[in-house]
Amino acid sequence: MIFQQIANGLAMGSIYSLIALGLTMIYGVLGILHIAHAGIYALGAYLGLLCFRFVPNFWVAMAMAMILCAAAGWVVQRYLYQPLLKLPRIVPLIASIGLFIALEEIYRLIAGPYVIPFPADPGFKGIQIGNIQITNQQFLVFIVTFILLSFLWFIMNRTRTGLAMKATFQDMEIASVMGVNVPRTVALNFLIGSSLAGAAGVLVGVFYNSVYPTMGSIPAYKALAIIVLGGLGSIPGTVLGAFFIGLSETLLIGVVQVPFPRDALAFIIMILVLMFRPYGILGKG
Amino acid sequence: MISGYSITVSCMIGIYMILAMSLNIITGYAGQISLGHAAFFGIGAYSSALLSVKAGLPFWFSLPIAVIITACVGALLGIPCLRVKDDFLAITTMGINFVVEAVFLYIPFFGGAMGLGNIPFPKIFSYEFSKFHFLLMVLFFVLVCVAIDRWLIRSWAGTALEAIREDETAASVSGVDVTKFKVGAFTVGSGLAGLAGSLYAHFMSFISPYDFGFPQSIVILSMVVFGGIGALRGPIVGAIVLGAAPEIFRPIMEYRTLLYGGLLIFMMRFQPGGLLGEESFVFRFFLRRIYRGSP
Amino acid sequence: MMKRVMIVGFLFVGVLLISFPTYSQDIPIGFFAPLTGFAASDGRAAKNGVELGVSIVNDAGGIKGRKVKLIVYDDRHDSKEAVAIANRLIEKDNVVAVVSGSYSMPTRVTAPIFQKGKIPMVAGYAVHPDIVKGGNYVFRNGCLGEVEGAAAANVAVKLLKAKRNAVLTMDNDFGTELSRGYVARVEKLGAQIVSHQVYKLGEKDFTPFLTKTKEANPEVIFTSGYYNEAALVSRQAKALGIKAQILGEEGFDSPKFLEIGGDAAEGVIFVCLLNRDDPRPEVQNFLKKYKQAYGMDSEMCATTSYDAFMIIAKAIERSEPKPEAIRQAIATMKDIPGLLGKVKEFNEIGESKKPVQVQIVKGGQFRFFAEVTDPEVITPPSK
Repeated sequence: MIFQQIANGLAMGSIYSLIALGLTMIYGVLGILHIAHAGIYALGAYLGLLCFRFVPNFWVAMAMAMILCAAAGWVVQRYLYQPLLKLPRIVPLIASIGLFIALEEIYRLIAGPYVIPFPADPGFKGIQIGNIQITNQQFLVFIVTFILLSFLWFIMNRTRTGLAMKATFQDMEIASVMGVNVPRTVALNFLIGSSLAGAAGVLVGVFYNSVYPTMGSIPAYKALAIIVLGGLGSIPGTVLGAFFIGLSETLLIGVVQVPFPRDALAFIIMILVLMFRPYGILGKG
Repeated sequence: MISGYSITVSCMIGIYMILAMSLNIITGYAGQISLGHAAFFGIGAYSSALLSVKAGLPFWFSLPIAVIITACVGALLGIPCLRVKDDFLAITTMGINFVVEAVFLYIPFFGGAMGLGNIPFPKIFSYEFSKFHFLLMVLFFVLVCVAIDRWLIRSWAGTALEAIREDETAASVSGVDVTKFKVGAFTVGSGLAGLAGSLYAHFMSFISPYDFGFPQSIVILSMVVFGGIGALRGPIVGAIVLGAAPEIFRPIMEYRTLLYGGLLIFMMRFQPGGLLGEESFVFRFFLRRIYRGSP
Repeated sequence: MMKRVMIVGFLFVGVLLISFPTYSQDIPIGFFAPLTGFAASDGRAAKNGVELGVSIVNDAGGIKGRKVKLIVYDDRHDSKEAVAIANRLIEKDNVVAVVSGSYSMPTRVTAPIFQKGKIPMVAGYAVHPDIVKGGNYVFRNGCLGEVEGAAAANVAVKLLKAKRNAVLTMDNDFGTELSRGYVARVEKLGAQIVSHQVYKLGEKDFTPFLTKTKEANPEVIFTSGYYNEAALVSRQAKALGIKAQILGEEGFDSPKFLEIGGDAAEGVIFVCLLNRDDPRPEVQNFLKKYKQAYGMDSEMCATTSYDAFMIIAKAIERSEPKPEAIRQAIATMKDIPGLLGKVKEFNEIGESKKPVQVQIVKGGQFRFFAEVTDPEVITPPSK
């Protein structure tokens, strides 16, 4: 039974990692806590659903959502964050929160407050390994996450763009001096990060057959806890953090049966880790 | 006479003023971004409510004890917060908010999901306060906060906090005991939030964990930033404008929240110093005449 | 200092100006619900239900020749807003009665205010027990949480003959109350609770809870939740191969449950207040009109709020549009006709007593399954 719970936890961890990755990349390059990222995630779900209405194919819908969310992310960066870069960090934080609130309301006003189903069938069947049931949705999550994470790994580690991005994370000024086109790299971070969020949105929408205006609330908080836990700005740290939280939450609730809400548990775990490593698991001072 | 509706709204605005000022001490003066201030609001409210309802204490005892309890918790939580910096701190405070809310929600002693009700209105010798008297009391406490605030700025503590805010390393090298002042700021800020919480609990007569969650922290923070972080006038104005706005805009209820989000974006984009910040439009055109220099 | 006085002065005047009352020939009735925020879906349904009631009444010529004017406010599921709304309804809008289309928290916090202001309030579906204890001006049309939970226990133990019961509780006031009633009654009837877990409001991933529940091998899983949780629990339970019967409550009573739950919703049983197979013309007419007006099937929040409004309308009809008279009329009403079945009367503290319906999802529709009329279960406390 515990292996079933581990499978459950890994599925959650996969979803969390897709959402949190974009957030940590954006933090890494701009130092901004982009809370509106969860709004882009929800946008992905809505756009994916819209595309699905025209072309009833899951993969097409996901691709479209990713592209459109990348564009949306770029717009946010260019017109909201860029002008605010030189100001104290609380300013872009509040602006981001304002944007998130506004986005939730826009979704509600346009699409209605109701939960809308997303009946896309990606064509997988669930599998059973011994006693463990991997539902078809969980299987889908694993496959998509694996594909996207591999893509990201490839870009970060095997391309010059990736090298430029890593340099910018480390130190923007030095990177610029070394010839890296910093504004382009920043934009690229937003594009990639937002498209991942869009993919996560579609995935979650299909996974739970639910798309609704406030679907970004919980990921907003959870993703913040995860990127802090993993180390702000560290991509491997975030992936690690996402799976760590996904697993611990599930095991604490499902096996140990701690009578405490999931989100609070995630934050407690984060705080405990911070007590020992104040910069997160893989963060640097 | 003045309607009960106006008094109710004014009381809430007064309570928000105290909350905004208390957060300003932590975030504006000491420069520590706190995203979980509603947790202290809640601790004050629940302490005061429990003391009155379960221990039968009169309001005049519950209030100061609640303030002390909240200040102690603030000091206690200030200590782990010291280990983390900047954005890690911000998220940690957010986490504290979630944990405190969860404690109120899941532990039956605090009433759990059903909340705590029948919290009594203040009485003087069995003569119960009217809402108008309550408003006067709230205004009194607002003035108390203003006084504490002024004292803080003008004292040695104020200078130390400013030094810490500007550059922590330089401050500590210059001999400022950074730890002591940071924890001090947390203590005073949370104590005042506890005061607001106690007033809130006895005013509403019913509290529930959802009153003190993360969204509430954001409301308080946006009041501080909207008005202008740092100077005292900022949080007060922020509380008035953002506290009255939901009522004034009630007729367009479908769009209220959208307006609020848009307002935050707009303000940060064009007036990041706040409505009454140094560089703001309002300050430059109207208030320079009234303020002759000193903040 | 002067500047502060000025600003406070301006805003005070502003707030005063907007609190002046307005006059008209219409009968003003107040209504509040969460129209924005996480509960907006239910709030919108409640608003739809009441507005349909208002249009039906007004199209028939109004009450005693005067039309009903519904004054709608959004409480965002926030106590502070609810308190401000209550004061505003009483003083600015001069309402003669109020329908609460909101959850327990805003209803609970405004009950004493309406009591003090001597304006009768009928709560559509809020379940908190303390609501009616606000006083004799507060009535509950919907079902008390523990009564509904107890009715569900009757279904589980007596109808479904389940000895082993698992409980999955939503952690807010609604879920907690229902589960409390369920657990108490199950144990009283001599059956077992083999697993009891609590999940957070808004939870979407139930696999950890369900996996643990599956281990306990229950025959029935009583699940509290709103339609999204209902649908997700059903789907995830099915995917995990759980064979136990899913038993729900009135939160399941929404076409959205069927939409999102899909195949997994088939066979789910839940207790609620509306019997969709009820042959009475008023029920079938309402269902048809609602679908026409809003393009989707009615749900629990809409029907209960509609009934709450109709009770007030009938009370005004039998007396006059003055708060004290309305209160008196409601309190002494006998055999109140409603969509939710005939309500005998409101008891001393304002609770209504009526049979609890049990519906089952068959062929993708809600069908009648049973009715719980056991007086031990459905009689609400009278103090």
